[in-house]
Formats: sequence, structure tokens, C-alpha cells
Amino acid sequence: MPEPATEGRAETGEVRQEADRELVRRAQQGDKQAFEVLVRKHQGRVFAVAGGILHSREDVEDIAQQVFLKAYFSIKRFDQRAAFSTWLYKITVNECWDLLRKRKVRPLMYEADLSEEQAHTYQSREAGGEDALDVSQQLETRQQVEQWLDCLDEKDRTMLVLKEVQGFTVEEIAGIMGLNGNTVKVRLFRARQRVAERIRRKKRAAGV
Amino acid sequence: MSETRRMGRPECDEVLNELEELKAEELNSGEVLGALTGGSKRHAVGCEDCRSAVDDFVTTREALWPMRAMALEAGPWFAARVMADVRAAENEIEEKKEGLWISVRRLAPRLVAFAALLLVLGGTWAMELRRRESATGQVEVRQAEGLFENAPSAQLNDDILATAAEGTRP
Repeated sequence: MPEPATEGRAETGEVRQEADRELVRRAQQGDKQAFEVLVRKHQGRVFAVAGGILHSREDVEDIAQQVFLKAYFSIKRFDQRAAFSTWLYKITVNECWDLLRKRKVRPLMYEADLSEEQAHTYQSREAGGEDALDVSQQLETRQQVEQWLDCLDEKDRTMLVLKEVQGFTVEEIAGIMGLNGNTVKVRLFRARQRVAERIRRKKRAAGV
Repeated sequence: MSETRRMGRPECDEVLNELEELKAEELNSGEVLGALTGGSKRHAVGCEDCRSAVDDFVTTREALWPMRAMALEAGPWFAARVMADVRAAENEIEEKKEGLWISVRRLAPRLVAFAALLLVLGGTWAMELRRRESATGQVEVRQAEGLFENAPSAQLNDDILATAAEGTRP
């Protein structure tokens, strides 16, 4: 799983942001190499954000590519008032929602969606660690999680996944969703209440 | 903003704020409670709302935990593919611009011919208009001249009146 900061974990947030600002300035002047560095720096988290919303590897790759293309062609209009990462993840979330709106269904992950590489990773986890699950178990778990999250609207679901799965902070989520921090906290609190209640009900029904 | 967590007490809000700041690794409720600061921990233990908030927090985290292991990663080729896409998109834009220029150049002889035709037609029409205007102008001048030539002069009229007045005098 991608780390919240995929590269330069030792870098502080400020230093990283300053480095991004410089790269953005160069990219705005038409420096393609600078943009490529930005892509390499942020691709992990763009994948993580899109993966939290979409699940199918093909969709996530397509969306991630679209996001970076969009970013490249609109980077001249980006005024750097927000962090580049926030701006990029905002584009990612909006692109994902657009895709879901077009399809009107939330795609679940099927075995066919797994790349060979992922399947191999899961298999080796199974062989290696005691916490590891096999591929079909993983898919089952994923579908179960999807069912639990089904009681949430798209925004709340995205917030919860960004927070609990991708490890974003409340401030980062607020920036991405265009909300204030308090609203994000309130919505997370309510989303957790609903999901936890659903899980408890299912467990009670199953006699666990 | 009208949205609140409906927990009421400021201590509860503090507990909830601290929960949001917790690292993902603090998983079970014992660990979560242990990670809270002294005051918040004491409050959370005694407050039913906070305890159920901590339960919800832990239940949700545990439920979503497997998703972390399934997160998708970008392949090593991804950035290169994005840059290739960028170049392709730029080429497409260039081709579109060039395509416009090529079609303008292809249409150029027709445009020139059309412009020449317009020029000839416009010139003919303008000359015809001018010829007609000058013809009507000559007629008007001639008519005006005739009018002044035939009109009796004021002196002659005076003479007539004077002659008539002389004739009636005793």
C-alpha cells in the first residue's frame, strides 16, 4: 500500500511544499521535466485517492492519467494559493465522481480487475505472513466493506476512505473537498456512527 | 454552520478532536483510549456518549483496515505514459492549429476568385449608380434653367402696373 508521502519521507511538509511550488513554477513556464517530477512525486497518492473511490485498476489508471493530463493543461491557471497536492487531489476526487455519475453505479472489485502483479502480491502475502489473506478472501472482504459503506453518500464515503484508508488529515480532506475542518469532523463522526451501526446490526443478524 | 456532533459538552468535543488526530495504527479501543490525553481519557471513560463514539471509531477503523492492504499502486511506467500522453495531446492541438491553416491555404484561390468577383460586381454597380446620378442631375439643372428663363422679370411687371396706373389717372 502506498505510504501517505510516497517520496522523501524525511522531508517536512513545508520543505516538500516549497519544492512543489518551485516545480510548479517551472512547469508553468513549459518545463516538461519539472512536470514529470511532479507526476512521480504525486502519482502514489493520486492512485490511492482514486483507488479509494473506484477500485477497478483500469478505472483508477485511466482516471490518474486523466488527472495528470488535466493538471498539465491547466497548470498555468493554478495560482498556488493552495498546495499543489490539494489541487491535484481535488481534481482526482472530481474526476472520480464524474465517472461514477456517468456510470450511475459504484463498481465493485472483481477478480478480473486484479492485475497479475497484484494477484502475485496477495499470493506471496498468503505464503509469507500469518495476517495474509488469499485473493478470493481479499475480494470477499472488499465487497463486505463496500456493503458497509453503501449506507453513506459519495462525499461521506470518500471522506471516510481518505481518512481511514489513505491516512489523510482532516485539514487535507477539508482542502480537497472544499469544506471547512469542522464540517469534515462532523461528517466523519456521523459517517462512523452509521457504518458502525450497520456493522453491529449485520453481526447481530449473523449471530456473531 | 448548523452541523454539530450533538455531544453537547466541550470535553466531548475535545475527545472527538483527539480521536481525529490519532494515528492509524492505534486500533483497538484499549489502545485508542490509551492514546488520548489525560483529561480526555478520564472524561471518555466516564461519558457514555464518548465511549460509544470511541466504539464507533474503532469499529469503523477495523472494518476499513483490509482496504489498506488492497490499495492500488502506480506502475513504474506510469509517469512515462503520462508524459507520452501529454506530448500526444500537444501534437494533436498543434495538428488542429495546422489543420486550420492548411484549410485556409487550400481555400485561398477560391477566396481570391470570390473577392475578385465581388470587386467587379461592386465596381460595376457603383459606376452604374454614378452614371444614373449624373444623368438625373443634368435633367434637373436643365429644368431649373428653363424655369428662370421663362419667368417674367419684376421690372416688366412694374412697367405693366405703372402703365395701367397712368391709364386710369384723370
